[in-house]
Amino acid sequence: MSVLILDIVTTAAILFTVATGLMIILGVMKLINFAHGAFLTIGGYAAYIATVAGWSPWAAIPFAAVVGLVLGLVVEYVIVRPLYARPLDAILATWGLGIIIGQLITIGFGREVQFVEPPISGAVEFLGLSYSTYRLLLVLVAVVIGAGLTGLLYFTRFGLNARAVIMNEDLARGLGIDSTKVRLATFGLGAALASVAGALITPLVSVDPNLGLPWLVNSFMLVLASGVSIPGLMIVSLLLGGAQVVVSTYVSPIIGGLTIVVLAALILRLRPQGIG
Amino acid sequence: MNMRNSFRILGGAAALGLALAQPAAAADTLKIGVPVGLSGANSVVAPSVVQAAELAVSEINAAGGVLGKQLELVVADDGSGAQGAQKAFDSLVFQKEVDVLISMETSAARNAGLPIVNRGKVPYIYTSFYEGRSCSPWMYVNAWVPEQQVAPIVDHFMTSEGAKSFYLIGSDYAFGRGMLEFTKKYIETQGGTVLGEEYLPMDGTDWTPIISKLKAANPDALITSTAGGAPNVTLTKQLRAAGVEIPYGNLAVDEGTARNMGADAAGIYISASYITGIASDENKKFLAAMEEHFGGDLKTPNDLSVPQYEAVYLYKAAVEKAGSAEPKKVIEALAEVSFKGPRGDISMSKQRHAPLTMYLAQVQPDGGIKLISSFDNVDPGEQCPNL
Repeated sequence: MSVLILDIVTTAAILFTVATGLMIILGVMKLINFAHGAFLTIGGYAAYIATVAGWSPWAAIPFAAVVGLVLGLVVEYVIVRPLYARPLDAILATWGLGIIIGQLITIGFGREVQFVEPPISGAVEFLGLSYSTYRLLLVLVAVVIGAGLTGLLYFTRFGLNARAVIMNEDLARGLGIDSTKVRLATFGLGAALASVAGALITPLVSVDPNLGLPWLVNSFMLVLASGVSIPGLMIVSLLLGGAQVVVSTYVSPIIGGLTIVVLAALILRLRPQGIG
Repeated sequence: MNMRNSFRILGGAAALGLALAQPAAAADTLKIGVPVGLSGANSVVAPSVVQAAELAVSEINAAGGVLGKQLELVVADDGSGAQGAQKAFDSLVFQKEVDVLISMETSAARNAGLPIVNRGKVPYIYTSFYEGRSCSPWMYVNAWVPEQQVAPIVDHFMTSEGAKSFYLIGSDYAFGRGMLEFTKKYIETQGGTVLGEEYLPMDGTDWTPIISKLKAANPDALITSTAGGAPNVTLTKQLRAAGVEIPYGNLAVDEGTARNMGADAAGIYISASYITGIASDENKKFLAAMEEHFGGDLKTPNDLSVPQYEAVYLYKAAVEKAGSAEPKKVIEALAEVSFKGPRGDISMSKQRHAPLTMYLAQVQPDGGIKLISSFDNVDPGEQCPNL
């Protein structure tokens, strides 16, 4: 039983960590960033570069953040900004961007699986059980990311501006808030978060050009069902991630793989605004 | 149907006309069609397969060819799947009019290509290990089937590690399920028990619930059969992170992937008909020739590429025995010829399949492969009793 609870909490933590970048961008910019999966992949390869360069595996995480941030800022400036007035085209552009990033990574690094040094490995005694140390650590990381983002949104000038843009962009601009800057910073932040998440999951996944792809659909469904709010995303990750673990454990992992998508669709049918 | 066939005949006649117009090219070469997954799931391993075929062809041509004719490779991408395979086989058999098909492919691609092979009546040597029991009057197989690969691992676990209870984990597709179903039957006939058998979809990334069940069942040993590449790496990493240290046999890992997994792969048992460390003269000569031929572009030879190399030589031997490249005669001869290659003496004499020497090896902490024991001439069992 306690194994089940640990499985649920750690799975929820991973889902939350992977989905936050997508949520921040959707919340502020009303843009679904389909390149999210590609930014996860970039984070994985940033960790790979750190391994090749012989850095400490911990250094991979800030490095991934910087790479994601810089790429995010460039992408926003070059690709997303000219399409503000055409939201559907902007979504398509991010979809195409995801494909291009995937192909560039294939050209640069090849299709094969890359080896990335994990920061910690093995299991630890916890509540009388032997459990994966790294998965437990990811719970802490998810809490830190959640708290950090909440702090950023509610206790800083940037957060105030961002919330103003979320509520009413025209009015915010009328009050002298430079919404273009807010959008730029948001996309950079979202890309950096995705990239960090990509680096964080490398000890659990295969680092290859398709690293991010399987996470994209689940992240997307979770973010929509969360009602685009941080506590909402936490709750949805726990509920839907928990359901996935329970179904996988007691029914079948094959049906478990569908749980998040099916339940998110159900939530959106009953509450189109999400649960947040 | 008749209409379509008569179009085929017309098309064939037209192609024949073309061939007659350029008699030199047609008469002096034997064309080897290689439908292979250059894109899709097999794209990681396909380049090594093409290299192995290229080396065999260039060696044979340098030594005077086959019955005075030069060999020519025609490579076609089958996209690792059924749809691409139909196009690739169709164009190789009916447009390029190859004399033989020799290739490593996914089971889906092979199954889609076989009807075209049967219609075109072209000899086909399949060089990939697979789940077994695929039969056609035009096909031979020179790689392993479950009967040959599973036994060494299970036997070793039961005798040397004292394992009685097993847990099986795989990817949810034909090869994964086929291998583990055979493994389960084999364990039970040997007096062991299977405590659980779990599958995750091929694009699944989180094995946590399965690993928790594995730990709760507390088996003596674990055997996995995932899709190659990502699912294999993901499962191994998560097993190690969860502290699973029981004997672990992996039916789907190759030397190269094991090396890329680093320390996580250490201790894994693999069973294969080829490992680079085979100490025979033929293997050393083969490895040196590959190195010389491809230099920096060399893809490490493996259990999928070496059978491809040997199959080209088996075809050569069959054509020479038959005295011509006439398909019917070549098919008869293929069962009788043998070739001593990097994997040892290979002959496809057992119901279109080959008895093979299998190697049980263990991955070392530095990523190298240590040979534990070898099993001579393991029989493929009843594969195609009606042929």
